Amino acid sequence: MRSVTLQDYKRRILPVLSHIQDHLDDRLPLNDLAALACFSPYHFHRIFTGMVGESVKEYVRRLRLERAAGRLRAGSKSVVEIAFEAGYESHEAFSRSFKVVFGTSPTQFRRTRQEQIASASGLHFRPGITVRRFRAVRGGKSMNVEIQQLRPMRVAYLRHIGPYNAVGSTWDRLLTMMGKDGYLGGSPMMLGICHDDPEVTPPSRIRYDACIEVDDRFKPAEGIQVQVVAGGEYARTTHTGPYNNLGKTYMEFLGHWLPRSGRELRDAPCFEVYLNDPQSTPPEELLTDIYAPLMEHPSAPERGHYEDGDEVRGKSEVSREAKAR
Amino acid sequence: MKTATKSEAKVKSAGKPKPADKLDLYSKYSKEYAASTTPALVTISPATYLSISGKGAPGGPAFTEAIGALYGVAFTVKMTRKFGGKRDYVVSKLEGRWPCFKEGELPGDKEQWIWQMMIRTPDFVKEQEIRQAVAVLEKRGKGTGADRVQLETIDEGLCVQALHVGPYEKERETMCKMGTLAESKGFKLSGVHHEIYLSDPRRVAPEKLKTILRHPVEPED
Repeated sequence: MRSVTLQDYKRRILPVLSHIQDHLDDRLPLNDLAALACFSPYHFHRIFTGMVGESVKEYVRRLRLERAAGRLRAGSKSVVEIAFEAGYESHEAFSRSFKVVFGTSPTQFRRTRQEQIASASGLHFRPGITVRRFRAVRGGKSMNVEIQQLRPMRVAYLRHIGPYNAVGSTWDRLLTMMGKDGYLGGSPMMLGICHDDPEVTPPSRIRYDACIEVDDRFKPAEGIQVQVVAGGEYARTTHTGPYNNLGKTYMEFLGHWLPRSGRELRDAPCFEVYLNDPQSTPPEELLTDIYAPLMEHPSAPERGHYEDGDEVRGKSEVSREAKAR
Repeated sequence: MKTATKSEAKVKSAGKPKPADKLDLYSKYSKEYAASTTPALVTISPATYLSISGKGAPGGPAFTEAIGALYGVAFTVKMTRKFGGKRDYVVSKLEGRWPCFKEGELPGDKEQWIWQMMIRTPDFVKEQEIRQAVAVLEKRGKGTGADRVQLETIDEGLCVQALHVGPYEKERETMCKMGTLAESKGFKLSGVHHEIYLSDPRRVAPEKLKTILRHPVEPED
């Protein structure tokens, strides 16, 4: 068996791209899209966003605008009609978005201009999306990633349901309960399991487990539960800086590094390990390890999964990367 | 040189302002911790520390055990107070005193190094709470070395202080500047060399490590 290549990743994203293009006016549940690409729903959206350089939502919006541009030039439909077809609720909202990307109002555009909006991935609203045309977006800098074999880890945890930036109170409760009973002795690992992608799941429904490593003697009590984090191979990278920028590192990790790594992810969530204390550490010096669960390697590690033509100049990256979580 | 700020409790409080009643000693005494790479004379007020002493190479078994014990006690005391509704505080950074640090460096044989590792702790934490924490840790089988953790008040008075950026092995350069400044003001270095570890040496590149170097001074004869 051979390793998966970037080409394989692109081939798997392709049916998703075609499906989106054919169903621009339909609901596009992420689980369905993930299934089309045979990716775990845990990881699909980050892989997509990383490779395409836009979230599914942004991609759909851009394609709708490109389609609208075509219709403005070709047909005789009114601007309002075309605005509705593009998913906008008013002529004004449509004109505003349109002007931002085409630099001109829809009415002026009718007479002139191109129909494509600049995109890092080279993907546009047009028939026949091919692997060749799809430039997988690549980060500017190389990522430091280590493959590690982990043993299964027993953890005590509290589940937080709600916005990511509010997990602090859950940690407070967990640390207080565990700390008073002496479970913070021996420097246990502190980790966070993110069951949902904050770019996708509404903030009020995000599930996050605040976990502290424990041995077999710990018994669940006072609302604190126990779970075992699966062992096996993980890819690990370190995020430096505030927690609210973790989203950007996730996207580079799963969207840029992974497709070129020769590896695939298991259907299990990623987790984060917090290496320093945010109370006594300035946000820009906070260190967080992100672990992504890998499928068993099909063969010995190979080099050379990088392919020509995939480099994408840095500029268009900036706005995309500004969307941290 | 020193390693292993053993991992502490990490509270994920992204962007959340600290409640006003949570005491952060480094903020409260910010003048005593505001070091720049240019040395300065600073008067240090008496301070209470959780402390553990020992001998051996940093990163070696004795050192690692001591750091683990120190943090275990520090967080157990803090969380017990918090659970009891008592005043909350930030567990400060790791500090260390090195009695055999002379002429800007430590002796060649790391196994001979004597150290006192410390975490600054609010005055309202009492000896009784330390002993209780040690008992709880021992009950959990996590008390190795914990009974050696003491509360100690240190009064350093006038010190010369500077921020050292870079590997611990290169502290000599910063110490030279500190000695020169002290002399120019009519003082000489005396007492025990003190370091405050702002960075985690396990993860931060040596050239980026930030350490506050502090050394008490006395008037030159």
